[in-house]
Amino acid sequence: MDILSNLLIPIVNLDLLMLIAVGTFAGIYVGAIPGLSVTMAVSILISFTFSWEVYPALALMIGIYMGGVYGGSRTAILLNIPGAPSAIATALDGFPMAQQGRAGEAIGIVTVVSFIGGFIGIFALGAFAPLLSDFAIGFQPRDFMLLAIMGILLVGSLSGDSLVKGIFAGALGIGVGAVGMDPLTIQDRFVFGISELRGGISFVAVMIGLFGVSEALIQLHSIHTPAVRQKITGIIPSWSKVRRHLPLGLQTSTIGTVVGALPGTGGDIAALMAYDHAKRVTRNPETPFGKGAIEGLVAPESANNAAVGGAFIPMLTLGIPGDAVTAIMIGALFIHGLNPGPMLMIEQPDMFWFIVSSLALANVFMLIFGLTGIRLFVRIVELPRTVLLPVIMVLSIVGAYAVNNSLTDVYWMLGFGVLGYFMRLYGYPLAPIILGVILSRLLDDNWRRAIISEREDFGAMMMGIFTSPLSLCLFLAVVMILVTNTPWWARRRARKA
Amino acid sequence: MEPTPKRRPGELVFNIAVMLASFGLLYSAYGISGFEALSAPGAVPMATTAIMAVCAIIILVQTLRKGTGGGQTVAADILPLIVIVTIAMIAAYAVLLRPLGFLPTSVLFLLVMIRFLSRRGWGFCLVVSVGTVFVIWIIFRLIFAVLMPQGIIPEGRIVSAITSLF
Repeated sequence: MDILSNLLIPIVNLDLLMLIAVGTFAGIYVGAIPGLSVTMAVSILISFTFSWEVYPALALMIGIYMGGVYGGSRTAILLNIPGAPSAIATALDGFPMAQQGRAGEAIGIVTVVSFIGGFIGIFALGAFAPLLSDFAIGFQPRDFMLLAIMGILLVGSLSGDSLVKGIFAGALGIGVGAVGMDPLTIQDRFVFGISELRGGISFVAVMIGLFGVSEALIQLHSIHTPAVRQKITGIIPSWSKVRRHLPLGLQTSTIGTVVGALPGTGGDIAALMAYDHAKRVTRNPETPFGKGAIEGLVAPESANNAAVGGAFIPMLTLGIPGDAVTAIMIGALFIHGLNPGPMLMIEQPDMFWFIVSSLALANVFMLIFGLTGIRLFVRIVELPRTVLLPVIMVLSIVGAYAVNNSLTDVYWMLGFGVLGYFMRLYGYPLAPIILGVILSRLLDDNWRRAIISEREDFGAMMMGIFTSPLSLCLFLAVVMILVTNTPWWARRRARKA
Repeated sequence: MEPTPKRRPGELVFNIAVMLASFGLLYSAYGISGFEALSAPGAVPMATTAIMAVCAIIILVQTLRKGTGGGQTVAADILPLIVIVTIAMIAAYAVLLRPLGFLPTSVLFLLVMIRFLSRRGWGFCLVVSVGTVFVIWIIFRLIFAVLMPQGIIPEGRIVSAITSLF
């Protein structure tokens, strides 16, 4: 009974319901605007809401979070600019669909699978939180390290034609992520005597540069070609289409939930892993992957929304953030006198069930706003690109500046924009760079913890990997990703086909 | 047999630059802590830059194997004037952002860029620029309270005047 009454808190309170709705609506557009990250929006919200009661503050933040993760897909599909890192994989097939005039279809299916994925993640949060957090707490540093390597090696299947260029880009990303003072020894790394570099390079500036500015520069080549008029019919996907993709959506939602529940990971990694999974299990897509495959939308979008529920699991049960947004939310809970961790569920179960219920409501609002607001949004791509591109550049500059109020970030954005432009022209994939930046800290910290725990003995660490079933599984997954992306494997498959 | 892919103009130069930069970064990574220990702060940077350097060599070899002459030129297909002007404009925007402030710099940037790209009349460009900056300002400054450089316009006083109305 207690659970039910706690679940009903945001439903029976009209103010809370409104805040969740407003948050979700705003989140969709925050997520969709390149450079306005959900992380940034939630962190700004803390300064607005710290004097509020805890329920309204959380209701608004949860709405923004759920809507923002979904909203990132909009610009990924319409402009090839992921509004959020979790929408990077969505752009790979979403944008080709928009170019074919199928933007409405793409956004419709994305909205429905995001809703399904979101509910699976929320269900997992409510049902399996303690169990999954027990599993995550059992991870050794070497497992996190292997997980990070696995994530970066997924670039192999995301890197188009050249695995070598994909690995190069991933390694570059790790290097960028390492810039600044080493958090353990305070030693400078890749600082070159420039004091501004001691704080590292803003990930948001890198992302906006690579995906916002470089895309705008590339589109200048064809600025005078008329914009594709988007067909906005068929937004609400047919039941048969949903049913056809439901099995994949359920698989990738599970991936999203599990990956989201692993501390330090989040919707971005979940989406990339789900995309890779879809490529492996989909034998004959109607349209090839990278050219507008619906499976390429179903997988990342169901996974990244499922990861939202998953990300709350370690946050609420262990006090470890599942991703950047939940890290900020931990700060918000502390501000409100709450102590997220194992004791939270025992001392204040109402908070746990309130969050579960608010997430579920935000998910419903996301479906409603997602399916009804498309026509207006699609008009954006029909605007003349001679106007739209300069506006995107201004938004990119504002977004890069706003994170730290720093002009240096604007220069980094421009630098990475120009680098990304040339990399695109010469066939280098950009997504692995972002992935590398995201995973750099996870990889570095856990490598060092793992090797220190083995007293600097590399052989002993390898022995540890081979004798632990979990580590061995992760290690074999890494090897499999490498092998299946070699030309030898491709030739072998071609011979078999 | 599939035809050998053609090398794009400037591709060789770019890949040589990438390789040299990778070796430069590897040298810098070595300078962090050398081969002091496997858990040293330079260990992961050295490993990643070494991977970058090896990949860069392989990419360079692959580029050298490609055939030349795809009918493309640097001026038309890699760095056309429109791209150079846009990069210069973004750089100028960044430089002027602090002394002039967000509002005038953004209007100026949009005005020049829209005029340059669309060739529409100055009136159209001015209306679109001012309107767009106004909307962005409302969203970022008033709703999200994002502080942008104030510059020559007393933005703070304008905001406090607006907020005092409510």
